[in-house]
Amino acid sequence: MAMMAGAGLSLSGMFMQTLFKNPLAGPYVLGINSGASLLIALSLMTGVHFFQSNFGLIGTALIGAFAAGLLMMLIAQRLKSQITLLLVGLMFGSFTSAIVSILESFAGAESLKSYTMWSMGSLQQVEFGQLGIILVIFALGIVASFLLVKPLNMLVIGEKSAALLGLPIKSTRMFVLLLTALFAGLITAFCGPIAFVGIAIPNLSRILFQTTNHRYLIIGNILIGAIFLLLTDAFIQVLEGHISIPLNALTSIIGAPFVVFLLIRKLR
Amino acid sequence: MIQLTRVSVGYSGELLHAEKLELEAGKVYALVGRNGIGKSTFIQTISGIQKQLAGEITMNGQLISEYNPREIAEFISLVDTRFEGVEYLKVKDYLALGRAPFTDAFGRMDSNDWRIVEEVASDLSIQHLLEKNTDQISDGERQLCSVGRAFVQETPVILLDEPTAFLDYINRKKLLELLVRLSREKKKCIVLSTHDLDLCLDQKVPFLLAAHGTVSLHETLSKETIIEAMS
Repeated sequence: MAMMAGAGLSLSGMFMQTLFKNPLAGPYVLGINSGASLLIALSLMTGVHFFQSNFGLIGTALIGAFAAGLLMMLIAQRLKSQITLLLVGLMFGSFTSAIVSILESFAGAESLKSYTMWSMGSLQQVEFGQLGIILVIFALGIVASFLLVKPLNMLVIGEKSAALLGLPIKSTRMFVLLLTALFAGLITAFCGPIAFVGIAIPNLSRILFQTTNHRYLIIGNILIGAIFLLLTDAFIQVLEGHISIPLNALTSIIGAPFVVFLLIRKLR
Repeated sequence: MIQLTRVSVGYSGELLHAEKLELEAGKVYALVGRNGIGKSTFIQTISGIQKQLAGEITMNGQLISEYNPREIAEFISLVDTRFEGVEYLKVKDYLALGRAPFTDAFGRMDSNDWRIVEEVASDLSIQHLLEKNTDQISDGERQLCSVGRAFVQETPVILLDEPTAFLDYINRKKLLELLVRLSREKKKCIVLSTHDLDLCLDQKVPFLLAAHGTVSLHETLSKETIIEAMS
């Protein structure tokens, strides 16, 4: 599960960075996770019960993630600065967490506990039976990613130039966004929000592979993302007896300084 | 090759109007006019990426709006001169993107595609840049690369929006001569917007004069007439 979470979040970050032409984009900082979290919190705490089955959980997260992605794309089109989008994403995150807080005050003890547990992010709460479904969706997502190699490579030089080379922009945007939401939503649904993997790993892949060709970047993100979360998870389990660190906290401790490093390096 | 009939271009209001224009193969047209008059919008409208406010644009007798993006990309290329470079994107891969309308669903390049890239690079004397990253070369070099990408696309119509803005005098002269040669040898229809009146006059290219809200075609024009019409 750790490997899938790492790879999935990295891919979803890579999609967003290419689509928004912004190396600071990612499912967490732009609120894609928040969108999924909000809908999950809503259904967990209000007890709307399409949540019972595994598909319900995935569906809820997917809708939330896709809606948030759509919103971000609409806003991104009106912005010139890459950093402004980041700020808007953070505001959206604050906004949704405020709504979640309000929901919490109404929620019963049981649902509150399950939501709090979920929101700390964990790779251990996935049941063995669920793994099959996750694996199938994940594999389909990877196949679809490779089908997007050419459009993504064209988007690197900007939407307008890509359109002039014959790329149907609107449908490509939707396809990329759908896949972003699929990965981010899937992982968020089962592991809770995991911060900074989606923004940091795609940048790391680009730096290590020195290319913008998505044929290699997809492979790079899968590998590096998978290894990174596997190591993080191993670290948490080693310390399990002494202290228990929430996954989300650990990825933030590593990821946040890295993003600051990127900011200093790129934008000064 | 391309015909404009009572076309009005602009975003919310009309910037430029072309009553009747016919752009032919084998010619280079210099679109001249003052800053902000709508030259870029005019070029983008011909490329099909921007819709005209009124009138008809046809390419080979068929309305441009009836072609799909891919068909237009096989027919018209537009040089985006404001390309700022992308980290880790190599010049050769940037040029190779010009083959996108012709490569398969995975964008795989065959040996013929790479041969075209090599040829264009040598035409523009940018072979030494091929392995460099597009964000680590000068503005002028990047502009030549943008022109190169359009050449690689091998379209019968090439539109260039101020392709010489960042170039030194030698490169401006060489580029314009190359455009004229290409248009004749390969029967291409080339439109470039430019402020290099002298160079265009030297090459005796026809002018598309954008002034006072209209675009008109003139086979020959003197410098004085152009300046007078613009002011």
